[in-house]
Amino acid sequence: MPESFFYFIQQLLNGLTVGSTYALIAIGYTMVYGIIGMINFAHGEIYMIGSYIAFAVLAALAMMGIDSVSLMLISAFVISIIITSTYGFAVERVAYRPLRNSNRLIALISAIGMSIFLQNYVRLAQGSRDIAMPSMISGGWTFGPEDGFHATVSYMQLIIFVVTFISMTALTLFISRSKMGRACRACAEDLGMTGLLGINTNQIISITFVIGAALAAVAGVLLGMYYGVINPYIGFMAGLKAFTAAVLGGIGSIPGAVLGGLILGVTEAFTAGYFSSEYKDVVAFSLLVLILLFRPTGILGKPEVEKV
Amino acid sequence: MIRKMNKTLAALAALAALAVSAAVAGASGLAQAADTIKIALAGPVTGPVAQYGDMQFTGAKMAVEQINKQGGVNGKQLEAVVYDDACDPKQAVAVANKIVNDDIRFVVGHLCSSSTQPASDIYEDEGVLMITAASTNPDITSRGYELIFRTIGLDSLQGPTAGNYIVESVKPKRMAVIHDKQQYGEGIATAVKNTVEKAGVDVAVFEGVTPGDKDFSALIAKLKKENVDFVYYGGYHPELGLILRQGAEKGLKAKFMGPEGVGNKDISAIAGPASEGLLVTLPKSFDQDPANAKLVAAFKAKGEDSTGPFVFPSYSAVQVMAEGMTLTKSESPEKVAGALRSNNFKTPTGNLAFDGKGDLKDFSFVVYEWHADGTKSVASK
Repeated sequence: MPESFFYFIQQLLNGLTVGSTYALIAIGYTMVYGIIGMINFAHGEIYMIGSYIAFAVLAALAMMGIDSVSLMLISAFVISIIITSTYGFAVERVAYRPLRNSNRLIALISAIGMSIFLQNYVRLAQGSRDIAMPSMISGGWTFGPEDGFHATVSYMQLIIFVVTFISMTALTLFISRSKMGRACRACAEDLGMTGLLGINTNQIISITFVIGAALAAVAGVLLGMYYGVINPYIGFMAGLKAFTAAVLGGIGSIPGAVLGGLILGVTEAFTAGYFSSEYKDVVAFSLLVLILLFRPTGILGKPEVEKV
Repeated sequence: MIRKMNKTLAALAALAALAVSAAVAGASGLAQAADTIKIALAGPVTGPVAQYGDMQFTGAKMAVEQINKQGGVNGKQLEAVVYDDACDPKQAVAVANKIVNDDIRFVVGHLCSSSTQPASDIYEDEGVLMITAASTNPDITSRGYELIFRTIGLDSLQGPTAGNYIVESVKPKRMAVIHDKQQYGEGIATAVKNTVEKAGVDVAVFEGVTPGDKDFSALIAKLKKENVDFVYYGGYHPELGLILRQGAEKGLKAKFMGPEGVGNKDISAIAGPASEGLLVTLPKSFDQDPANAKLVAAFKAKGEDSTGPFVFPSYSAVQVMAEGMTLTKSESPEKVAGALRSNNFKTPTGNLAFDGKGDLKDFSFVVYEWHADGTKSVASK
């Protein structure tokens, strides 16, 4: 097979890796929007906190002399998910619940304030410098012609695919099969009516924030280990990209967030690969503008019915 | 009634404002009378390149301390005041205005060329003397300004040094030049590209990346496909560290080179073993100079690191500023600037003399090879 084919495959894999982490973060935006119709701009910061907790866990384990990779990975995921979810829960309680019945704009401003607060809180507590995470998993699979260009999938990329896939499946099962998931869907349909039918809507909204934060924590751990560098500012760009992915796919729709994330990641990789790295953000955001021009609700979004 | 109250309130508020401004004026008057000469140290205290800010502050503060120990300048003590620009051009402008408002007329800084450039416009207009010990972009001193100086070399000098080394010692078959689209990074990358292309080296890829970006897998795949065996990166260490690390994971075998913006221990923390063999152009290691042994010991006694590329140039910046004030027996930035242009200064970074533009007449960069443990050695020819 020609070299250009393997180059294509390599860029596709690169794009899918980034795209699946965008998707993980985008779910947090889309679920919250689906239920209470607000955009949680502090969500990118939640992802950043997830990365920091993973780093703290890895550092603590290394200090205790534990060097089993699987144990380190699992404890990083578990502890980061638990603590980050608590942050997600607390953010909703402190910054959004008291404002639930006010104008949408007010909740939005509260979200931006929360985002600035969290970013600076981590900056003060951890310092503003880049922190390097040790690369625990190195190596990968190479395929391609004997001489010439090889496509490489690192084991870390594989882990990102697998973990993302497991998280998405778990989420889908939870939403479609469990009682709580049904309540979530009901809330997304009509929050007031669901409340009237005796479902504790406050609890469901809290759960939505917790799930979003847990998935952001997964993305934080994965990307922290994949890129190897974290700082208090990573949440901003990641949040912006994930938000774009959510809007692209149709905000409010979970499959839409996944699709949007993957499309965004692949578009970026192909732009950088075939055109120039300089233009990858330009092309990604132009794509968003184009899709919104022709499909204002995103690819899989439903048109919002004006509630009277 | 309400309207009347409003009027009374407004009058009260105006009175209060007057009283406050009078108090402020009084306070600044007092500050003037105090026996210190304030020097603003402007650079990144926070942000991704804060390490370089540390180097600058360490060197400058040591100079202030030692000058004060020897009796200060014109019978007054120097006082260093640190301002954080976070290497952000917008914040640098705010900092420059703040320095002017705080009535400080001497600045050592800024660090990033893209911060120094807009800030220097303000200093020149407001009659503040600025010496940067780290900004290497040629444009900063090419605008005919009177009060803007630097104690470090220029990219137009560093670029050819790197370019000639590449042509003469590395002899790559196909090379790539990558930069971070910022004034400093793109400027030096262009200088390197021009030098090597003149010598007939094939530059297959020339493109920019976004500062703060974390994913370079697409770029690395491109470098692999283009079969480049050498990459020059113009920019700072956070991005290059990630490119090195991700490149090693993806089996990119090219050798890398960068300017002094990547020569920092953090690049080894980020890239790990992948930072071994990275080539870096840096100012001469002034801490290795036997003449500076005493000064190095003074840094050590304070538990400070004197190995960074900007520590000694910052020390020299404060020193020439102080000597300029002593020579002219004044605190007038214009007079001191005149003294800087017409005298020679013996400093830890050598015998410094400034040309009409405010650049050093003589400064040289050296090519070093970086090691995975964060140390460096002079690269073999």
